[in-house]
Amino acid sequence: MLGFLIGEALRDLRRAGRVAVSAIVLITLSLAALGGFWLVSSNLERAVAKWRERVRIIVYLKREPPAGEAAALVERVQGVPGVAGVLYLSKADALASLKTVLGKDASVVAQLPSNPLPASLEITPAAAAATPEGARALVERLASLPEAEEVAGSADWVERLSQWQRLLTTIGLGIGAVLAIAAFLTVATATTLILHARRRETEIMRLVGATEMTIRLPLLLQGMLQGLLGAVLALAALVATHRVVAPRLAPLVNLTLGLPEIAFLPPLSLAVLLLAGTLLGGLGGWLARAGREA
Amino acid sequence: MIELHRVSKVYSVGPVKVPALSDVSFRIAKGEFVVLTGASGAGKTTLLRLLYRDDLPSEGDIEVLGHDLVPLRRTRVAALRRSIGVVFQDAKLLPVRTVYENVAFVLRVLGTPQREITPRVFDALRVVGLSARAQAYPAQLSQGEAQRASLARAIVRRPPLLLVDEPTGNLDDAMEAEIIDVLKDIGGGGTTVVLATHQARLAAALRRRTITLEGGRVVKDEG
Repeated sequence: MLGFLIGEALRDLRRAGRVAVSAIVLITLSLAALGGFWLVSSNLERAVAKWRERVRIIVYLKREPPAGEAAALVERVQGVPGVAGVLYLSKADALASLKTVLGKDASVVAQLPSNPLPASLEITPAAAAATPEGARALVERLASLPEAEEVAGSADWVERLSQWQRLLTTIGLGIGAVLAIAAFLTVATATTLILHARRRETEIMRLVGATEMTIRLPLLLQGMLQGLLGAVLALAALVATHRVVAPRLAPLVNLTLGLPEIAFLPPLSLAVLLLAGTLLGGLGGWLARAGREA
Repeated sequence: MIELHRVSKVYSVGPVKVPALSDVSFRIAKGEFVVLTGASGAGKTTLLRLLYRDDLPSEGDIEVLGHDLVPLRRTRVAALRRSIGVVFQDAKLLPVRTVYENVAFVLRVLGTPQREITPRVFDALRVVGLSARAQAYPAQLSQGEAQRASLARAIVRRPPLLLVDEPTGNLDDAMEAEIIDVLKDIGGGGTTVVLATHQARLAAALRRRTITLEGGRVVKDEG
Protein backbone atom coordinates (compact mmCIF):
# COMPACT_ATOMS: atom_id res chain seq x y z
CA MET A 1 0.00 0.00 0.00
CA LEU A 2 2.83 2.39 0.86
CA GLY A 3 4.36 1.75 -2.56
CA PHE A 4 1.04 2.57 -4.19
CA LEU A 5 0.67 5.81 -2.20
CA ILE A 6 4.21 6.97 -3.00
CA GLY A 7 3.76 5.99 -6.66
CA GLU A 8 0.55 8.04 -6.85
CA ALA A 9 2.25 10.99 -5.12
CA LEU A 10 5.08 10.94 -7.70
CA ARG A 11 2.58 10.66 -10.51
CA ASP A 12 0.70 13.66 -9.05
CA LEU A 13 3.93 15.63 -8.81
CA ARG A 14 4.63 15.05 -12.51
CA ARG A 15 1.08 16.13 -13.33
CA ALA A 16 1.51 19.45 -11.54
CA GLY A 17 4.47 20.20 -13.87
CA ARG A 18 5.64 23.80 -13.90
CA VAL A 19 3.45 24.87 -10.99
CA ALA A 20 5.12 22.23 -8.82
CA VAL A 21 8.52 23.48 -10.01
CA SER A 22 7.51 27.04 -9.06
CA ALA A 23 6.43 25.84 -5.64
CA ILE A 24 9.74 24.05 -5.12
CA VAL A 25 11.69 27.17 -6.20
CA LEU A 26 9.69 29.35 -3.80
CA ILE A 27 10.24 26.93 -0.93
CA THR A 28 13.95 26.92 -1.79
CA LEU A 29 14.07 30.74 -1.76
CA SER A 30 12.13 31.07 1.49
CA LEU A 31 14.22 28.50 3.34
CA ALA A 32 17.49 29.80 1.86
CA ALA A 33 16.59 33.33 3.04
CA LEU A 34 15.58 32.04 6.45
CA GLY A 35 18.68 29.85 6.70
CA GLY A 36 20.97 32.67 5.53
CA PHE A 37 19.73 35.09 8.16
CA TRP A 38 19.81 32.32 10.73
CA LEU A 39 23.44 31.62 9.87
CA VAL A 40 24.45 35.32 10.24
CA SER A 41 22.37 35.66 13.38
CA SER A 42 23.84 32.55 15.02
CA ASN A 43 27.38 33.83 14.38
CA LEU A 44 26.49 37.21 15.89
CA GLU A 45 25.02 35.35 18.85
CA ARG A 46 28.34 33.56 19.29
CA ALA A 47 30.15 36.91 19.18
CA VAL A 48 27.77 38.40 21.75
CA ALA A 49 28.28 35.43 24.07
CA LYS A 50 32.02 35.72 23.69
CA TRP A 51 32.02 39.47 24.37
CA ARG A 52 29.71 39.06 27.32
CA GLU A 53 32.37 36.84 28.90
CA ARG A 54 34.86 39.67 28.45
CA VAL A 55 32.83 42.37 30.21
CA ARG A 56 34.82 43.72 33.18
CA ILE A 57 34.01 46.35 35.81
CA ILE A 58 36.91 48.16 37.50
CA VAL A 59 36.62 49.47 41.07
CA TYR A 60 39.30 52.09 41.73
CA LEU A 61 40.16 52.23 45.43
CA LYS A 62 40.56 55.40 47.52
CA ARG A 63 43.77 54.07 49.00
CA GLU A 64 45.83 50.95 48.64
CA PRO A 65 44.92 48.58 51.46
CA PRO A 66 47.70 47.25 53.65
CA ALA A 67 49.01 43.86 52.57
CA GLY A 68 47.00 41.96 55.17
CA GLU A 69 43.64 43.63 54.31
CA ALA A 70 43.60 43.13 50.50
CA ALA A 71 42.61 39.46 50.72
CA ALA A 72 39.77 40.29 53.12
CA LEU A 73 38.53 43.03 50.75
CA VAL A 74 38.60 40.62 47.80
CA GLU A 75 36.66 38.08 49.83
CA ARG A 76 34.05 40.70 50.82
CA VAL A 77 33.58 41.91 47.22
CA GLN A 78 33.32 38.30 46.04
CA GLY A 79 30.15 38.12 48.16
CA VAL A 80 28.46 41.06 46.37
CA PRO A 81 25.51 39.76 44.27
CA GLY A 82 26.35 39.61 40.54
CA VAL A 83 30.09 39.16 41.07
CA ALA A 84 31.60 36.05 39.52
CA GLY A 85 35.27 36.84 40.06
CA VAL A 86 37.56 39.47 41.66
CA LEU A 87 41.16 40.23 40.82
CA TYR A 88 43.07 42.64 43.06
CA LEU A 89 45.59 44.93 41.32
CA SER A 90 47.92 46.83 43.62
CA LYS A 91 49.42 50.20 42.63
CA ALA A 92 52.58 48.35 41.63
CA ASP A 93 50.59 45.84 39.51
CA ALA A 94 48.84 48.74 37.76
CA LEU A 95 52.17 50.44 37.00
CA ALA A 96 53.63 47.19 35.65
CA SER A 97 50.58 46.77 33.46
CA LEU A 98 50.99 50.34 32.18
CA LYS A 99 54.63 49.63 31.32
CA THR A 100 53.57 46.56 29.36
CA VAL A 101 51.05 48.63 27.41
CA LEU A 102 53.59 51.40 26.70
CA GLY A 103 56.14 48.88 25.43
CA LYS A 104 59.28 50.65 24.17
CA ASP A 105 58.07 53.94 25.63
CA ALA A 106 57.87 52.43 29.13
CA SER A 107 60.89 54.49 30.21
CA VAL A 108 58.66 57.59 30.61
CA VAL A 109 57.21 55.94 33.70
CA ALA A 110 60.59 56.20 35.38
CA GLN A 111 60.39 59.99 35.18
CA LEU A 112 57.27 60.13 37.36
CA PRO A 113 57.95 61.42 40.87
CA SER A 114 55.66 58.76 42.35
CA ASN A 115 53.23 56.05 41.19
CA PRO A 116 50.01 57.96 40.33
CA LEU A 117 47.93 54.87 39.58
CA PRO A 118 45.36 53.72 42.15
CA ALA A 119 44.97 50.19 43.37
CA SER A 120 41.88 48.54 41.86
CA LEU A 121 39.64 45.51 41.78
CA GLU A 122 38.88 43.92 38.38
CA ILE A 123 35.38 42.45 38.64
CA THR A 124 34.10 39.70 36.33
CA PRO A 125 30.29 39.94 36.40
CA ALA A 126 28.16 36.82 36.70
CA ALA A 127 26.14 35.94 33.53
CA ALA A 128 23.01 37.63 34.91
CA ALA A 129 24.95 40.84 35.54
CA ALA A 130 26.49 40.94 32.05
CA THR A 131 23.40 42.72 30.63
CA PRO A 132 23.10 46.54 30.61
CA GLU A 133 20.61 46.54 33.51
CA GLY A 134 22.57 43.93 35.45
CA ALA A 135 25.84 45.76 34.93
CA ARG A 136 24.32 49.11 36.01
CA ALA A 137 22.93 47.53 39.20
CA LEU A 138 26.29 45.92 39.93
CA VAL A 139 28.12 49.24 39.38
CA GLU A 140 25.76 50.88 41.90
CA ARG A 141 26.39 48.12 44.46
CA LEU A 142 30.15 48.35 43.99
CA ALA A 143 30.12 52.18 44.20
CA SER A 144 28.57 51.91 47.65
CA LEU A 145 31.68 50.13 48.99
CA PRO A 146 33.45 52.47 51.48
CA GLU A 147 36.79 51.68 49.79
CA ALA A 148 35.57 52.62 46.31
CA GLU A 149 36.71 55.91 44.79
CA GLU A 150 35.25 55.35 41.33
CA VAL A 151 33.62 52.46 39.42
CA ALA A 152 34.03 52.16 35.64
CA GLY A 153 32.58 49.78 33.01
CA SER A 154 29.27 48.74 31.44
CA ALA A 155 27.79 46.16 29.06
CA ASP A 156 25.96 48.65 26.83
CA TRP A 157 27.94 48.05 23.66
CA VAL A 158 27.58 44.28 23.99
CA GLU A 159 23.86 44.82 24.25
CA ARG A 160 23.90 46.95 21.10
CA LEU A 161 25.54 44.02 19.30
CA SER A 162 22.89 41.75 20.74
CA GLN A 163 20.16 44.08 19.46
CA TRP A 164 21.65 43.93 15.96
CA GLN A 165 21.57 40.17 16.19
CA ARG A 166 17.88 40.19 17.22
CA LEU A 167 17.05 42.66 14.44
CA LEU A 168 18.70 40.37 11.87
CA THR A 169 16.76 37.39 13.20
CA THR A 170 13.50 39.33 12.93
CA ILE A 171 14.26 40.47 9.38
CA GLY A 172 15.16 36.90 8.43
CA LEU A 173 11.95 35.55 9.93
CA GLY A 174 9.93 38.28 8.15
CA ILE A 175 11.41 37.64 4.72
CA GLY A 176 11.22 33.88 5.27
CA ALA A 177 7.56 34.13 6.35
CA VAL A 178 6.53 36.21 3.31
CA LEU A 179 8.26 33.79 0.94
CA ALA A 180 6.85 30.83 2.89
CA ILE A 181 3.29 32.16 2.42
CA ALA A 182 3.94 32.51 -1.32
CA ALA A 183 5.36 28.98 -1.39
CA PHE A 184 2.40 27.60 0.55
CA LEU A 185 -0.07 29.22 -1.88
CA THR A 186 1.86 27.84 -4.85
CA VAL A 187 1.84 24.32 -3.40
CA ALA A 188 -1.89 24.69 -2.79
CA THR A 189 -2.38 25.83 -6.41
CA ALA A 190 -0.28 22.92 -7.70
CA THR A 191 -2.38 20.53 -5.61
CA THR A 192 -5.61 22.06 -6.91
CA LEU A 193 -4.41 21.40 -10.46
CA ILE A 194 -3.56 17.83 -9.44
CA LEU A 195 -7.03 17.42 -7.95
CA HIS A 196 -8.53 18.52 -11.24
CA ALA A 197 -6.27 16.18 -13.22
CA ARG A 198 -6.95 13.16 -10.99
CA ARG A 199 -10.68 13.70 -10.48
CA ARG A 200 -11.45 10.48 -12.41
CA GLU A 201 -9.04 8.48 -10.26
CA THR A 202 -10.63 9.98 -7.16
CA GLU A 203 -14.08 9.06 -8.45
CA ILE A 204 -12.97 5.46 -9.08
CA MET A 205 -11.26 5.27 -5.70
CA ARG A 206 -14.42 6.39 -3.92
CA LEU A 207 -16.53 4.05 -6.01
CA VAL A 208 -14.53 0.96 -5.08
CA GLY A 209 -14.51 1.78 -1.39
CA ALA A 210 -11.14 3.41 -0.79
CA THR A 211 -10.92 5.14 2.56
CA GLU A 212 -10.63 8.94 2.65
CA MET A 213 -7.13 8.53 4.04
CA THR A 214 -6.07 6.50 0.98
CA ILE A 215 -7.47 9.22 -1.27
CA ARG A 216 -5.86 12.06 0.68
CA LEU A 217 -2.44 10.64 1.46
CA PRO A 218 -0.99 10.94 -2.07
CA LEU A 219 -1.93 14.66 -2.04
CA LEU A 220 -0.28 15.15 1.32
CA LEU A 221 2.79 13.17 0.20
CA GLN A 222 3.25 15.10 -3.05
CA GLY A 223 3.08 18.37 -1.09
CA MET A 224 5.61 17.04 1.40
CA LEU A 225 7.86 15.91 -1.47
CA GLN A 226 7.76 19.42 -2.95
CA GLY A 227 8.64 20.87 0.44
CA LEU A 228 11.43 18.38 1.12
CA LEU A 229 12.94 18.92 -2.32
CA GLY A 230 12.82 22.70 -1.83
CA ALA A 231 14.45 22.37 1.60
CA VAL A 232 17.24 20.12 0.28
CA LEU A 233 17.95 22.62 -2.53
CA ALA A 234 17.96 25.49 0.00
CA LEU A 235 20.47 23.65 2.19
CA ALA A 236 22.64 22.88 -0.84
CA ALA A 237 22.59 26.58 -1.76
CA LEU A 238 23.51 27.55 1.82
CA VAL A 239 26.39 25.06 1.96
CA ALA A 240 27.76 26.23 -1.38
CA THR A 241 27.48 29.91 -0.44
CA HIS A 242 29.10 29.31 2.94
CA ARG A 243 32.01 27.44 1.36
CA VAL A 244 32.66 30.25 -1.10
CA VAL A 245 32.00 33.30 1.08
CA ALA A 246 33.05 32.27 4.61
CA PRO A 247 36.83 31.96 3.99
CA ARG A 248 36.89 35.34 2.25
CA LEU A 249 35.06 37.12 5.08
CA ALA A 250 36.89 35.33 7.90
CA PRO A 251 39.64 38.01 8.39
CA LEU A 252 37.04 40.82 8.53
CA VAL A 253 34.85 38.88 10.96
CA ASN A 254 37.86 38.12 13.14
CA LEU A 255 38.84 41.79 13.22
CA THR A 256 35.37 43.18 13.93
CA LEU A 257 33.66 40.48 15.98
CA GLY A 258 36.59 38.50 17.28
CA LEU A 259 35.32 35.24 15.81
CA PRO A 260 37.97 32.96 14.28
CA GLU A 261 35.61 31.87 11.46
CA ILE A 262 32.00 32.03 10.24
CA ALA A 263 30.45 28.82 11.55
CA PHE A 264 27.82 26.95 9.49
CA LEU A 265 24.43 26.07 10.94
CA PRO A 266 24.47 23.18 13.44
CA PRO A 267 22.84 19.83 12.45
CA LEU A 268 19.76 20.58 14.55
CA SER A 269 19.09 23.80 12.60
CA LEU A 270 19.50 21.92 9.32
CA ALA A 271 16.99 19.32 10.52
CA VAL A 272 14.59 22.13 11.49
CA LEU A 273 14.88 23.67 7.98
CA LEU A 274 14.23 20.28 6.34
CA LEU A 275 11.26 19.69 8.61
CA ALA A 276 9.92 23.21 8.00
CA GLY A 277 10.06 22.71 4.21
CA THR A 278 8.36 19.32 4.42
CA LEU A 279 5.61 20.64 6.69
CA LEU A 280 5.10 23.72 4.53
CA GLY A 281 4.63 21.58 1.42
CA GLY A 282 2.45 19.05 3.25
CA LEU A 283 0.22 21.82 4.61
CA GLY A 284 -0.24 23.24 1.09
CA GLY A 285 -1.17 19.79 -0.24
CA TRP A 286 -3.56 19.08 2.61
CA LEU A 287 -5.33 22.45 2.69
CA ALA A 288 -5.88 22.52 -1.07
CA ARG A 289 -7.88 19.37 -0.53
CA ALA A 290 -9.80 20.87 2.37
CA GLY A 291 -10.61 23.93 0.24
CA ARG A 292 -12.07 21.76 -2.49
CA GLU A 293 -14.25 19.89 -0.04
CA ALA A 294 -15.53 23.04 1.65
CA MET B 1 -29.44 -9.08 -0.46
CA ILE B 2 -31.34 -5.93 -1.61
CA GLU B 3 -34.56 -4.59 -0.19
CA LEU B 4 -36.26 -1.27 -0.94
CA HIS B 5 -39.24 -0.16 1.11
CA ARG B 6 -41.37 2.78 -0.15
CA VAL B 7 -38.37 4.61 -1.55
CA SER B 8 -38.84 8.07 -3.07
CA LYS B 9 -36.29 10.51 -4.42
CA VAL B 10 -37.00 14.15 -5.20
CA TYR B 11 -34.39 16.49 -6.69
CA SER B 12 -34.67 20.19 -5.96
CA VAL B 13 -33.81 22.50 -8.83
CA GLY B 14 -34.09 25.90 -7.19
CA PRO B 15 -37.70 26.18 -6.02
CA VAL B 16 -38.79 23.38 -8.37
CA LYS B 17 -39.11 19.83 -7.01
CA VAL B 18 -38.44 17.09 -9.56
CA PRO B 19 -39.55 13.60 -8.50
CA ALA B 20 -37.16 10.89 -9.76
CA LEU B 21 -38.51 7.89 -7.84
CA SER B 22 -41.89 7.46 -6.13
CA ASP B 23 -42.84 4.79 -3.62
CA VAL B 24 -40.55 2.09 -4.99
CA SER B 25 -40.49 -1.25 -3.14
CA PHE B 26 -38.97 -4.58 -4.16
CA ARG B 27 -36.59 -7.31 -3.02
CA ILE B 28 -33.73 -8.98 -4.86
CA ALA B 29 -32.42 -12.28 -3.57
CA LYS B 30 -28.81 -13.37 -3.46
CA GLY B 31 -27.56 -14.62 -6.84
CA GLU B 32 -30.51 -13.16 -8.76
CA PHE B 33 -30.04 -11.46 -12.16
CA VAL B 34 -32.47 -8.53 -12.39
CA VAL B 35 -33.02 -6.17 -15.30
CA LEU B 36 -34.23 -2.65 -14.53
CA THR B 37 -35.82 -1.23 -17.62
CA GLY B 38 -37.74 1.85 -18.65
CA ALA B 39 -37.40 4.86 -20.88
CA SER B 40 -34.70 7.48 -20.34
CA GLY B 41 -35.58 9.50 -17.24
CA ALA B 42 -37.62 6.67 -15.72
CA GLY B 43 -35.37 6.61 -12.65
CA LYS B 44 -33.07 3.62 -13.38
CA THR B 45 -29.76 5.45 -12.84
CA THR B 46 -31.12 7.19 -9.75
CA LEU B 47 -32.09 3.82 -8.34
CA LEU B 48 -28.61 2.36 -9.00
CA ARG B 49 -26.97 5.41 -7.37
CA LEU B 50 -29.09 4.84 -4.27
CA LEU B 51 -27.97 1.19 -4.19
CA TYR B 52 -24.26 2.02 -3.99
CA ARG B 53 -24.99 4.92 -1.65
CA ASP B 54 -23.93 7.66 -4.05
CA ASP B 55 -27.11 9.44 -3.00
CA LEU B 56 -29.74 9.17 -0.28
CA PRO B 57 -33.47 8.67 -0.77
CA SER B 58 -35.83 11.50 0.18
CA GLU B 59 -38.07 8.92 1.82
CA GLY B 60 -38.09 5.19 2.53
CA ASP B 61 -35.54 2.57 3.54
CA ILE B 62 -32.91 0.68 1.59
CA GLU B 63 -31.00 -2.37 2.72
CA VAL B 64 -28.09 -3.68 0.64
CA LEU B 65 -25.87 -6.60 1.65
CA GLY B 66 -27.04 -6.25 5.25
CA HIS B 67 -26.33 -2.50 5.42
CA ASP B 68 -29.18 -0.10 6.21
CA LEU B 69 -28.13 2.65 3.77
CA VAL B 70 -30.04 5.67 5.11
CA PRO B 71 -28.34 5.97 8.49
CA LEU B 72 -25.06 4.48 7.18
CA ARG B 73 -22.09 6.53 8.36
CA ARG B 74 -19.62 7.88 5.83
CA THR B 75 -16.84 5.65 7.07
CA ARG B 76 -19.05 2.56 6.56
CA VAL B 77 -19.95 3.60 3.00
CA ALA B 78 -16.42 2.66 1.90
CA ALA B 79 -16.89 -0.81 3.45
CA LEU B 80 -20.22 -1.24 1.61
CA ARG B 81 -18.71 -0.24 -1.73
CA ARG B 82 -15.92 -2.77 -1.39
CA SER B 83 -18.64 -5.39 -1.84
CA ILE B 84 -20.22 -3.77 -4.91
CA GLY B 85 -18.93 -3.61 -8.49
CA VAL B 86 -20.29 -0.79 -10.64
CA VAL B 87 -20.16 -0.47 -14.43
CA PHE B 88 -21.15 2.73 -16.21
CA GLN B 89 -22.25 3.37 -19.77
CA ASP B 90 -19.13 5.49 -20.43
CA ALA B 91 -16.77 2.87 -18.92
CA LYS B 92 -14.86 5.56 -16.93
CA LEU B 93 -11.43 4.07 -17.69
CA LEU B 94 -8.34 6.04 -16.72
CA PRO B 95 -6.89 7.20 -20.05
CA VAL B 96 -3.20 7.26 -19.07
CA ARG B 97 -3.20 3.68 -17.76
CA THR B 98 -3.29 0.43 -19.69
CA VAL B 99 -6.17 -2.02 -19.38
CA TYR B 100 -4.06 -4.05 -16.95
CA GLU B 101 -3.28 -0.96 -14.87
CA ASN B 102 -6.91 0.15 -14.87
CA VAL B 103 -8.03 -3.17 -13.44
CA ALA B 104 -5.06 -3.47 -11.07
CA PHE B 105 -5.66 0.11 -9.83
CA VAL B 106 -8.73 -1.02 -7.89
CA LEU B 107 -6.78 -3.75 -6.10
CA ARG B 108 -3.87 -1.41 -5.34
CA VAL B 109 -6.23 1.20 -3.90
CA LEU B 110 -7.62 -1.41 -1.55
CA GLY B 111 -4.19 -2.59 -0.43
CA THR B 112 -4.24 -6.04 -2.06
CA PRO B 113 -0.83 -7.73 -1.71
CA GLN B 114 1.27 -7.28 -4.85
CA ARG B 115 1.69 -11.04 -5.46
CA GLU B 116 -2.10 -11.44 -5.72
CA ILE B 117 -2.69 -8.57 -8.10
CA THR B 118 -1.40 -9.97 -11.40
CA PRO B 119 -3.19 -13.36 -11.22
CA ARG B 120 -6.45 -11.72 -10.16
CA VAL B 121 -6.27 -9.09 -12.89
CA PHE B 122 -5.65 -11.75 -15.55
CA ASP B 123 -8.49 -13.87 -14.12
CA ALA B 124 -10.85 -10.91 -14.53
CA LEU B 125 -9.55 -10.14 -18.03
CA ARG B 126 -10.01 -13.77 -19.02
CA VAL B 127 -13.64 -13.72 -17.82
CA VAL B 128 -14.37 -10.72 -20.08
CA GLY B 129 -12.19 -12.08 -22.93
CA LEU B 130 -9.68 -9.25 -22.88
CA SER B 131 -6.42 -10.94 -21.81
CA ALA B 132 -4.77 -10.19 -25.15
CA ARG B 133 -5.45 -6.47 -24.79
CA ALA B 134 -3.97 -6.08 -21.30
CA GLN B 135 -1.27 -3.65 -22.43
CA ALA B 136 -3.55 -1.51 -24.61
CA TYR B 137 -4.54 2.00 -23.56
CA PRO B 138 -8.24 2.96 -23.46
CA ALA B 139 -7.84 5.11 -26.58
CA GLN B 140 -6.75 1.97 -28.49
CA LEU B 141 -9.87 -0.01 -27.50
CA SER B 142 -13.18 -0.35 -29.30
CA GLN B 143 -16.24 0.70 -27.30
CA GLY B 144 -17.09 -2.94 -26.66
CA GLU B 145 -13.56 -3.64 -25.41
CA ALA B 146 -13.63 -0.56 -23.19
CA GLN B 147 -16.91 -1.72 -21.69
CA ARG B 148 -15.45 -5.20 -21.08
CA ALA B 149 -12.40 -3.63 -19.43
CA SER B 150 -14.77 -1.69 -17.20
CA LEU B 151 -16.53 -4.95 -16.36
CA ALA B 152 -13.20 -6.60 -15.53
CA ARG B 153 -12.44 -3.72 -13.17
CA ALA B 154 -15.81 -4.17 -11.48
CA ILE B 155 -15.45 -7.94 -10.94
CA VAL B 156 -11.75 -8.15 -10.11
CA ARG B 157 -12.58 -7.83 -6.41
CA ARG B 158 -15.12 -10.66 -6.84
CA PRO B 159 -17.94 -8.57 -5.34
CA PRO B 160 -21.18 -10.34 -4.39
CA LEU B 161 -23.19 -7.55 -6.07
CA LEU B 162 -22.68 -6.07 -9.55
CA LEU B 163 -24.56 -2.94 -10.69
CA VAL B 164 -24.46 -2.28 -14.42
CA ASP B 165 -25.82 0.92 -15.94
CA GLU B 166 -26.63 0.90 -19.67
CA PRO B 167 -23.66 -1.31 -20.62
CA THR B 168 -24.65 -1.61 -24.26
CA GLY B 169 -25.99 1.89 -24.85
CA ASN B 170 -23.31 2.87 -27.35
CA LEU B 171 -22.59 -0.54 -28.86
CA ASP B 172 -23.47 -2.21 -32.12
CA ASP B 173 -25.30 -5.55 -32.11
CA ALA B 174 -22.16 -7.74 -32.15
CA MET B 175 -20.52 -5.89 -29.28
CA GLU B 176 -23.81 -5.90 -27.37
CA ALA B 177 -24.01 -9.68 -27.70
CA GLU B 178 -20.45 -10.01 -26.34
CA ILE B 179 -21.29 -7.95 -23.27
CA ILE B 180 -24.52 -9.81 -22.64
CA ASP B 181 -22.70 -13.15 -22.80
CA VAL B 182 -20.11 -11.94 -20.30
CA LEU B 183 -22.81 -10.65 -17.94
CA LYS B 184 -24.67 -13.94 -18.14
CA ASP B 185 -21.46 -15.78 -17.27
CA ILE B 186 -20.88 -13.51 -14.28
CA GLY B 187 -24.47 -13.93 -13.11
CA GLY B 188 -24.18 -17.68 -13.58
CA GLY B 189 -21.24 -17.70 -11.20
CA GLY B 190 -23.44 -16.67 -8.27
CA THR B 191 -22.95 -12.90 -8.38
CA THR B 192 -26.11 -10.86 -7.90
CA VAL B 193 -26.48 -8.62 -10.97
CA VAL B 194 -28.70 -5.56 -11.35
CA LEU B 195 -28.60 -4.30 -14.92
CA ALA B 196 -30.27 -1.04 -15.96
CA THR B 197 -31.13 -0.58 -19.62
CA HIS B 198 -33.58 1.48 -21.66
CA GLN B 199 -33.45 -1.18 -24.42
CA ALA B 200 -36.60 -3.31 -24.10
CA ARG B 201 -35.14 -5.67 -26.73
CA LEU B 202 -32.12 -6.34 -24.51
CA ALA B 203 -34.31 -6.97 -21.47
CA ALA B 204 -36.36 -9.43 -23.46
CA ALA B 205 -33.26 -11.18 -24.83
CA LEU B 206 -31.86 -11.71 -21.34
CA ARG B 207 -35.01 -13.53 -20.20
CA ARG B 208 -34.46 -12.67 -16.56
CA ARG B 209 -36.61 -11.03 -13.89
CA THR B 210 -37.43 -7.54 -15.22
CA ILE B 211 -38.55 -4.55 -13.17
CA THR B 212 -40.02 -1.82 -15.34
CA LEU B 213 -39.95 1.79 -14.19
CA GLU B 214 -42.12 4.54 -15.57
CA GLY B 215 -41.99 8.10 -14.26
CA GLY B 216 -40.10 6.89 -11.20
CA ARG B 217 -42.66 4.18 -10.29
CA VAL B 218 -42.47 0.42 -10.62
CA VAL B 219 -45.13 -0.46 -13.15
CA LYS B 220 -44.18 -4.08 -13.79
CA ASP B 221 -42.12 -6.73 -11.98
CA GLU B 222 -42.13 -10.03 -13.84
CA GLY B 223 -40.05 -13.05 -14.73
